[in-house]
Amino acid sequence: MLKVTDLRKEYDGVIAVDGVTLEVKRGELFGLLGPNGAGKTTTIRTILNIIKPDRGDIYFDGKPFTNSTWNIVGYLPEERGLYRKSKIISTILYFANLKGIEPKKSKPLAIHWLERFGLKNECHRKIEELSKGNQQKVQLIISFLHNPQLLILDEPFAGLDPVNQILLKDILLELKQKGTAIIFSTHQMEQVEKMCDSICLINKGKPVLNGELHEIKKRYGTNFVHIEYEGSGEFLKEIEFIRRADVYQNYAELELTDISRSTELLAYLNERLLLRKFEIVEPSLNSIFVNVVGGSQKYLSVNG
Amino acid sequence: MKSKALKVAAWEFMEKVKSKAFIISLILMPVIIGGMAVLPAFFASKEDTYSIQIGIIDGTEKLIEPLGEKLDSKYRLSHDQPIYFLRNLSVGRSLEEGRAEGARMIASDAIEGYFYIPSFVFDSGKIEYRTKNVGNFKIQERFSRVFEQVITEMKLSSYGLDTALVQELTARVEIKPIKISDKGEESETSFGETFAKSYVGLLMLIFMILTSGQLLVRSMVEEKSNRVIEVLLSSCTPRDIMVGKILGLSGLGVLQMLVYAVLGVALALKTNMNLLQPEYFAFTLVYAILGYVLYAAIFVAAGSPATTEQEAQQITAYISMLMVAPFALIMLVMQNPNSLLVKVLSYIPVLTPSVMVLRVAIQMPPAGEIFATILLLLVSIAIMMWIAGKIFRIAILSYGKRPSLSEIINWVREK
Repeated sequence: MLKVTDLRKEYDGVIAVDGVTLEVKRGELFGLLGPNGAGKTTTIRTILNIIKPDRGDIYFDGKPFTNSTWNIVGYLPEERGLYRKSKIISTILYFANLKGIEPKKSKPLAIHWLERFGLKNECHRKIEELSKGNQQKVQLIISFLHNPQLLILDEPFAGLDPVNQILLKDILLELKQKGTAIIFSTHQMEQVEKMCDSICLINKGKPVLNGELHEIKKRYGTNFVHIEYEGSGEFLKEIEFIRRADVYQNYAELELTDISRSTELLAYLNERLLLRKFEIVEPSLNSIFVNVVGGSQKYLSVNG
Repeated sequence: MKSKALKVAAWEFMEKVKSKAFIISLILMPVIIGGMAVLPAFFASKEDTYSIQIGIIDGTEKLIEPLGEKLDSKYRLSHDQPIYFLRNLSVGRSLEEGRAEGARMIASDAIEGYFYIPSFVFDSGKIEYRTKNVGNFKIQERFSRVFEQVITEMKLSSYGLDTALVQELTARVEIKPIKISDKGEESETSFGETFAKSYVGLLMLIFMILTSGQLLVRSMVEEKSNRVIEVLLSSCTPRDIMVGKILGLSGLGVLQMLVYAVLGVALALKTNMNLLQPEYFAFTLVYAILGYVLYAAIFVAAGSPATTEQEAQQITAYISMLMVAPFALIMLVMQNPNSLLVKVLSYIPVLTPSVMVLRVAIQMPPAGEIFATILLLLVSIAIMMWIAGKIFRIAILSYGKRPSLSEIINWVREK
């Protein structure tokens, strides 16, 4: 769906983005990560043709941005806000109209979404009468009402209560099912971890991690196995391919010399202990993020 | 993508028509203009309804008597009482005492004010008037006229001329103005009517441009601060947004003008004022709309770099100054609508709409000039829109610090 190659943008001598390359497929949830000021917003703005890049190509299904591209993208900016004095329903219809959907068609859609977000009865009220969270729901509706092929959401979960976070997650998965390519930019690692297929991590304008999430996790995989058991675990320290073992009463953390021998370990333990839990511990995205962004030379060099 | 600009225009128009600011200005403006244009004239020409006490300190000791006679015969209330009662403050007092008494009486409102006539008035021609209310020019004007007459008569009779002859010599002439149109038709018109017509036309133009300009700048600042602009920019081009805004605003202006045109026709029918000449109406409308669009572009160019409400207000204030300048020109244009200066001013684009609205009201300019100024306005609008587009494109995404002038010039130069 979207292919960005070697993007570069400079403002008054300050490099905002340099060498960002990414690809988002239809039906894919793509996480755009990075600390504050890393260049996420600049990247999004160039994709949406709001600003022109100094270098680099952006293609939608192999074609550059044209007048018809406006209507197939949807956007939720990070900082929220709408016309305060306008009515909710007319604001939604206006933005849908700008995306090429006649009010006749968009009105039933708008009502449908408002109902889903529990705002149907408020639709003739003014935006300023809504709470912040509810305003954000209206903005979310605006971003995907026209059923875009590429939906870009900047921190979509921030500001929503847990119930609505689940609702939004469901809606995003539905859109993904329908084949929408979704990019979301965030610092909330758990959301990315649970939902995203691929990620791109940007730091100081440069991409430092890029690719499918499980690949990345594998690349940064550690050799840790956590187990819970009944029985005596003293023998764990004696196993030859275990480098280090922290053994507690019913719990142990093991570091293997080679994670590929974990099945062998499982079979071995099964004979000697009553295993309650056997877990190969993946590094959390959070720890990868901190490691990479924290400037650990080891990780940076891995990615060139 | 022209249609997207129209969609923006339709939205801007509908949302602003419903806004309180617009409705208030729609109702308030005729009231304010009525107040500013009509009330002073109304009060100035108001019949005198009560008598006024005026003190006199007569250093010559011979002016007060003929002065009183002249005032008595000239200015009388409707029930035949004299308007002005003179109180001689110098009787039995020295000059200093007289003055002190005058000041005391003014303070206690026993007299409206007092005139001090120095003994050398026949040579200097200067008389002093002391009062709380210096702005009441009616008394000053009337008294100076009567003083003039009395002094002239006294001087002439001191040369041995007979009083009757003096009165004949100093007879006043009154001029009745009759306006002749280009077609040679005569119409009786007063200074007041022409003044009102041009004044009201200009006031309406300035008020409308300012109120809507303010709406425009404020909506740009709002869109910037709530980031709606980013959603808009992910739906259409900056040019669409800008053109849409200017079109929507102009639509607002046309609506406003139509409302006032209806009011104007009603007023004209009621007062028999000569407002109904079709060409006056048509050209005022043309210049007003062109001026509207030109200033809308100026407001976009100047207002889009603003990031806070205060900055927006400052900018509107600067542009207001530019707009109010033509008020100083009303008299100039009225006295000589064909002078070189007025012609030159007609070709300064930011002044063209207002100066031409004045000229159309006072004396229809030749067709060639109308054609040239309209063409000039169209060209200026095109150039201003181009510049505004350049600035708008970058300015709407710059938050935080306000860009310097040289940065803005760079934006315009950038391709």
